[in-house]
Amino acid sequence: MKISEITESARFAYESLNSNKLRSLLTTLGVVIGIVFVILMGWLLSGLDAALEKTVNVIGTDMLYVDKWNWSGGKNWRDYESRKDINLAQATEFCRRVTTPEVAMPIAQKWGAKIQFKNQSISGISVQGVPAEYVLTPGGAVTDGRFFSKSEERFGADVAVVGYNVANTLFPDGDALGKEIKIRGHKFEIIGVVEKRGTFIMDFIDNQTFIPLQTFLGIYGTSGRSLSIAIKAGNEENLANARSEAIGLMRQIRNNQPGQPDDFSINESQMFREEINSLRMSTWGVGIGLVSLSFFVGIIGITNIMFVSVTERTKEIGIRKALGAKRGAIMLQFLMEAAALCFVGAVIAFAFCSTVIAVVVKVFFSDSDYLSSYVPPQLLLTASVVSIIVGILAGLMPALRAARMKPIDALRYE
Amino acid sequence: MAAEQPIIHIEHIAKVYTMGGEKLYALRDVSLDISPNEYVAIMGPSGSGKSTLMNILGCLDTPSSGIYQFNGLDVRSMSDNELAEIRNKEIGFVFQTFNLLARASSVKNVELPLVYSGVKRAERRERAEQVMHSVGLGDRMEHKPNELSGGQRQRVAIARALITNPAIILADEPTGNLDSKTGKDIMRLFYNLWQSGNTIILVTHEEDIARHARRIIRIRDGCVESDLPNEENEASYSEAI
Ligand SMILES: Nc1ncnc2c1ncn2[C@@H]1O[C@H](COP(=O)(O)OP(=O)(O)OP(=O)(O)O)[C@@H](O)[C@H]1O
Ligand SMILES: [Mg+2]
Repeated sequence: MKISEITESARFAYESLNSNKLRSLLTTLGVVIGIVFVILMGWLLSGLDAALEKTVNVIGTDMLYVDKWNWSGGKNWRDYESRKDINLAQATEFCRRVTTPEVAMPIAQKWGAKIQFKNQSISGISVQGVPAEYVLTPGGAVTDGRFFSKSEERFGADVAVVGYNVANTLFPDGDALGKEIKIRGHKFEIIGVVEKRGTFIMDFIDNQTFIPLQTFLGIYGTSGRSLSIAIKAGNEENLANARSEAIGLMRQIRNNQPGQPDDFSINESQMFREEINSLRMSTWGVGIGLVSLSFFVGIIGITNIMFVSVTERTKEIGIRKALGAKRGAIMLQFLMEAAALCFVGAVIAFAFCSTVIAVVVKVFFSDSDYLSSYVPPQLLLTASVVSIIVGILAGLMPALRAARMKPIDALRYE
Repeated sequence: MAAEQPIIHIEHIAKVYTMGGEKLYALRDVSLDISPNEYVAIMGPSGSGKSTLMNILGCLDTPSSGIYQFNGLDVRSMSDNELAEIRNKEIGFVFQTFNLLARASSVKNVELPLVYSGVKRAERRERAEQVMHSVGLGDRMEHKPNELSGGQRQRVAIARALITNPAIILADEPTGNLDSKTGKDIMRLFYNLWQSGNTIILVTHEEDIARHARRIIRIRDGCVESDLPNEENEASYSEAI
């Protein structure tokens, strides 16, 4: 294929599209919709991935959580319900005896609590009673102020570290530090605020509020609640060892007989990956379905209009053939026209998606940082390539028909 | 006579169309040799097969039977792309209806054969402008066909036929759509081309036009009726035009 033929084909394609602007635009509709789905799907999936990474990091990739409940299992909840609570004695014994991990600590939590500040209040809070070591886990990363100290914990000080939503709701001006709030009628001083960490996967995490474990037990008591144990393995390589030690030790403490299943669960960040993966698969499934459907419609439309274009230009094909255009040159002209048509569709789709995504993120997800407010650049590349391939597929039959015309028949066409 | 190898050699060419089960012979049996620097006129009544013959000679169409050798090569065994190459490099075709690309300027139209032989843009443009000058259209480069008169269009078409320096120029009633004055101008152009060494075959209805050629082939019902040198002497008709 000669350079001169290729540039000539490009000119031909441009001329053809330019002289039929409205028709071209309408024809690309199917492709536009298809590319819109490609871009939106890619954008959603990258949002999912970003949310997942964030969640996994907040939980900690080297963390294990021993719990009565299994995070991922909804269907066996009756089994978990019937398990005995993990009481304070068991949790303390576990933390004292465990050797493999860097650190292990008991955590007590109260769901659905209410926090008051003057005459305002926020409910649906999960109050977490944790030891001072909790600051070593990703969950204890305070951005504003500080976490409570070992002595504050020991003396059961009335200090609290609040989650992003709590601070943001009660103190929208960002002056939460030093304020006095009430939890169950007890006064607490806010000494720290945790940054926004929640995504749609764990939106409740920003409603957490941490107080010293001793203080917690003083307010809510020790009985009637199941504690969790947070285990920080230290690094990901140590995770497997820490897991097997935790299972063995916990079975011993909980008196699980050989052959009897564990009456506790070991939860970890990887469980979210599995959950997200199924979400990913369904996004893919729906996406691929919609994309193929619209491309199918789009290809039929473009093939059809390309046949029209070939017929309209029969005489021109005849002239070009008479002057020495080979089959390949004629093919290329129509393939380029079809590809350009689809590429225009991709550009339209891209402009549309950019607007929609920017608006949606601004209006509905303004404080989320996992959904990007622009179309990721690699999606632009994907969309362009896909559109050109679709164009070539759609243009193949008409281009072949044009290329195979006998010069004399094409010239005689009126 | 150790004649030069003919450019065109056809033997017992026939072209049959089957219409509604009936066979229609556009050409029955035509044999011809055309040598370099001949100037041939093909004449005959309407429907006698002149255009059919020209289209076959120009490799735009293929015969149903017979032998066709172009410069000694068997045309009938050539592929589509090989035929395209012959049309591109060896044949300059001039049509009665000009057959210019409506959307392209005249100089672009003239360039087009070079596009398909892969000549670079700058050289293409230079050669096209040169040929446009030689047909007297140096001042009409950027005009589109619909901005030109019929005679000017045919000159553009002739320039396009000339640009590749083809072995032979085929013209099917090149003056058929022109008035007699403009037709004469075009014929002068062909005469000059022949004088400078080109080989020309043209189809015409008019004896006046055929007089310019050095050999006249008459066709009737798809057969060669007569094939004679033009007796008129060269000097007298070159005066006439
Ligand atoms: N594609 C075709 N299908 C059927 N018949 C055809 C076709 N092309 C030409 N013919 C027939 O072949 C015969 C010769 O046609 P051709 O065009 O060669 O005549 P011509 O000598 O050029 O006539 P004119 O002087 O009117 O141009 C005519 O009878 C015509 O009807
Ligand atoms: Mg004719």
